[in-house]
Amino acid sequence: MAEAKYLHHDKLSAWLEEVAGKMRVLAPVRQGDAVVFAPYASGVQVEMDKQATTPPKGVVFPASEELLRYDYQKNPEQPGQVDVELLPVIQPEPTLVFGCRSCDARGFVIFDRVYAGQTYKDPYYLARREATLFAVIACLRHDITCFCHSVGGGPGDAQGADLLLTPIEDGYVVEAVSERGAPLLDSPLLEPARDKVEQAQTLRDKAPRNMGNPTDFAPARDKLMAVFDDMDFWEDVSAKCISCGACTYLCPTCYCFNITDEGAGLSGRRVRSWDNCMSSQFTFEASGHNPRPTKAHRLKNRVGHKFSYYPALHDGLISCCGCGRCIKSCPVSVDIREIVVRAMGHALPAKDKD
Amino acid sequence: MTPASTKKNATAPAAKKNPAKKTGSKPAKSTAKAQKTAEPRAAKKTSKASAKDSAKKTAAQAIPKSSAKTPVAAARPINPHLAANPYLPEIGTIIETIQETHNIKTFRIKLGSDERMQNFAFSPGQVGQLSVFGAGEATFVINSPPTRKDYLQFSVMRVGEVTARLHTLSAGDRVGVRAPLGNGFPIESMQGKDIVFIGGGIGMAPLRTLLLYMLDNRDDYGKIRVLYGARSPQDMAFSYELPEWLERTDMETVLTIDREAEGWEHQVGLIPNVLLEMTPTPDNAVAVTCGPPIMIKFTLQALKKLGFQDDQIITTLEKRMKCGVGLCGRCNIGTKYVCVDGPVFTYAQLRELPNEL
Amino acid sequence: MNVLSQLKEQIAATLPNLDLVIGWERGFDPLHHTPLFMRRPEDVERLVIDALCVHNLAVYLPGLKNKKVGVAVKGCDSRAVNQLAREGLIKRENVVVFGFPCDGAADLTKVRRQLGDISGVQSAALEGDLLRVVVDGKERETPLKDVLADKCLRCRYPNALTHDHFAGEPREARVQTDDYKDVVDFEALPLEARFAHWQQEMQRCIRCYACRNACPMCVCRDHCVAQSRDPHWVTQEDETREKWMFQIIHAMHLAGRCVECGECQRACPVDIPILALKRKLNKEIRELFDFEAGVDPQAVPPLLSFQVEEKNINERGW
Repeated sequence: MAEAKYLHHDKLSAWLEEVAGKMRVLAPVRQGDAVVFAPYASGVQVEMDKQATTPPKGVVFPASEELLRYDYQKNPEQPGQVDVELLPVIQPEPTLVFGCRSCDARGFVIFDRVYAGQTYKDPYYLARREATLFAVIACLRHDITCFCHSVGGGPGDAQGADLLLTPIEDGYVVEAVSERGAPLLDSPLLEPARDKVEQAQTLRDKAPRNMGNPTDFAPARDKLMAVFDDMDFWEDVSAKCISCGACTYLCPTCYCFNITDEGAGLSGRRVRSWDNCMSSQFTFEASGHNPRPTKAHRLKNRVGHKFSYYPALHDGLISCCGCGRCIKSCPVSVDIREIVVRAMGHALPAKDKD
Repeated sequence: MTPASTKKNATAPAAKKNPAKKTGSKPAKSTAKAQKTAEPRAAKKTSKASAKDSAKKTAAQAIPKSSAKTPVAAARPINPHLAANPYLPEIGTIIETIQETHNIKTFRIKLGSDERMQNFAFSPGQVGQLSVFGAGEATFVINSPPTRKDYLQFSVMRVGEVTARLHTLSAGDRVGVRAPLGNGFPIESMQGKDIVFIGGGIGMAPLRTLLLYMLDNRDDYGKIRVLYGARSPQDMAFSYELPEWLERTDMETVLTIDREAEGWEHQVGLIPNVLLEMTPTPDNAVAVTCGPPIMIKFTLQALKKLGFQDDQIITTLEKRMKCGVGLCGRCNIGTKYVCVDGPVFTYAQLRELPNEL
Repeated sequence: MNVLSQLKEQIAATLPNLDLVIGWERGFDPLHHTPLFMRRPEDVERLVIDALCVHNLAVYLPGLKNKKVGVAVKGCDSRAVNQLAREGLIKRENVVVFGFPCDGAADLTKVRRQLGDISGVQSAALEGDLLRVVVDGKERETPLKDVLADKCLRCRYPNALTHDHFAGEPREARVQTDDYKDVVDFEALPLEARFAHWQQEMQRCIRCYACRNACPMCVCRDHCVAQSRDPHWVTQEDETREKWMFQIIHAMHLAGRCVECGECQRACPVDIPILALKRKLNKEIRELFDFEAGVDPQAVPPLLSFQVEEKNINERGW
């Protein structure tokens, strides 16, 4: 692995510009009162001090993308015959996501298990995944809503990262944590990090301790199944949910999607777009039947998927990176940690039947 | 002839005795100029970084019980086209349509060349996604058996946007096809057993593929009994082949409708009640049932009464689906994705699933 | 007795006759309150009333239509109760409204602007006219008036306009009239500037529809044009055009119905200032029909009625 480097604050813009000459660079920038990942351009102020409002999920898994274009054409020799032509579109752009947090990068590790599945893989996702590098900033302070250390990650964790930046003195220690990340360190703007590497390690080691004791969510896997039929419990914990999609769309690990045909007349686009399991349409069947008819059923599935079903299918891995955006940005402050903890401690009512 | 056959002539005008042989429909010449595209270049491997990292990572939690993979699934053919890009349909041409009932229409679809049809492998009970571009996709069972390779047959009940658009199509029209998907029936473990088919309404479609497959491999299976019910004679799909089923001596066919209808000479009564009268024995037998939820509920009770165990009862599920390949995340019941772990389940398996049908 | 104790008493006394009462309690941090669904007497103890009670709890009422529900409301929230009842979306007799004098609700976006990142907030205290917080061990403070929601600065209805119980003494309104200066000022900008503003703002919309779902008057719920295929007015594509189209439809559907509780804007996770669109329509509705939704429980909403000759619409003789 390449030698660790030190990047002084003063050199940050120059270095980003240098990288931007080779590939698209996305960085957290302010838009209104929000911080979102947007293309870096010289002079743009990069927001390094806090978690971005939205995760960089869309870089690899866009909010919408064309799966294919379709085009119906009349056969000139047989006017009654209309042929259809399909054109799948996969055009990933080499990209560096700069300045996301460990949790943000780790979201894709959760995605990979599904989208690089054994039988069917998602070529659109994988093409972007391969074209995207992540330069992660280790968190030396945390938000009240952060719980990465309870779900298999950590504030200085390098899972899913290619570069790891640790804030130190007047700059960052930059370490390549993947082979793909190493070439990015090859710049005259970076200086050898020397003993700062150890200091950075010490800071990163300290960070999770500041977060308090992690919650052990492992028992949730079985417990959530045990409380599955206790609808009183689910109605209680979902009562204040307003069934919007803020939690799912801001979640770095929520990967569910919709497919719709968009277009008019003879040509158009088959589009894959983020979908939201908190919406009743998610499972609404053409017959009128809905297996998850209420928000209680839907929240149960959302929590169950993350803390029980996914772990059962993927070696105990929890489908949550602990970024806390679902809590912090929920219009009514639904707290998924609280729901899981309550489920784990929930005494089941005595069964009256069966 | 049998009364059933007179009935269906009234309701199934397009019915032909052996429609596949005649090429009444326009030849599907140069069927699709489809898919002129580079294969996705990154489909094969995940990024190095992530592969390495997941190897490096220690799972935060221990893994108690192993996640049981669907045990009933037989060999499950994978379409190499879909393995490369699971969202990209092949273009098929409708070679024939049959108006089965007022709201069910059957489509016989040919994919590409004859050679492609010969190579197209699937297992009875697997499903396909049909596309009408502009409207979208919907999932239907392939109800022709894999032993008959002239076309793929899908029967579509008109309920929503995609099915309404499908119903406007006729021979010569193109559709997108993503198939086969799902698990299919456990045909191997059913070998040597007596089979009881119990189908209600459009629920007969998934049974048809299995039934025809078994008739084409008749020696591999024991006694075959079919109970097929519909609301009325007019609601009975596949009416054009029922006379043959009724005539065959190597199977028993019972037809029933909910209420008396003029000219009907078969059973009258709800499926579970007729089933009880048929008294199929559970010894070395498997019951395969599909139909509306209320019928399934009472059919299960009847089968239990007859002594069938949960693992002797097989059914197929329906869910709203999009991707069909286990990625889009909506058709799950707990850890099971109906699109890949199903749609075929034994009742024993269903009882293991959380209550979210 | 202070307002909170009085309110708790009123709720505790009424709760046995109701399925539930909705109020607020402390949420995941000292600056975030969260809706509280009180079903048992001990739940009432968790109730809080202060400037952090930002949610309009009337949003839950249409979904609880067949239940006997109590709800605590600020003045602006109470307009939603009136409007919902007037439109037949709730049965007023099934709702027990608990009013109290509202001194204004904080806008956490403004708090962030004033105090910086508050995601590590350890404590918060409202002391007189000051909001004091401790964030990452450091104390910070701001005058409360600098962080009150805009709607509160122009509030004319601080006391519930409809209520079955009222805790405390009604307070005086901050202002007597709403001059819609914000709308006037924005409309003074050139068309291009206004369009550029919305393009810039709507670009970051994530289409979560928190704006829609937090709106007490948005009652189409599962049949919203946002997802409808028939009519297919918006696509699912992540385009500013589509997002903007939805906001316009949303605002138009609220013409004469919007009670300006500002929940759409408050709920937005990416802070898009979408209340402005509803303000524009409310201004028009006021000028055309002299109507404000939810203020007079008896008034017939203009778009639910018809007059051959509208007073302020010149339909002939342009």
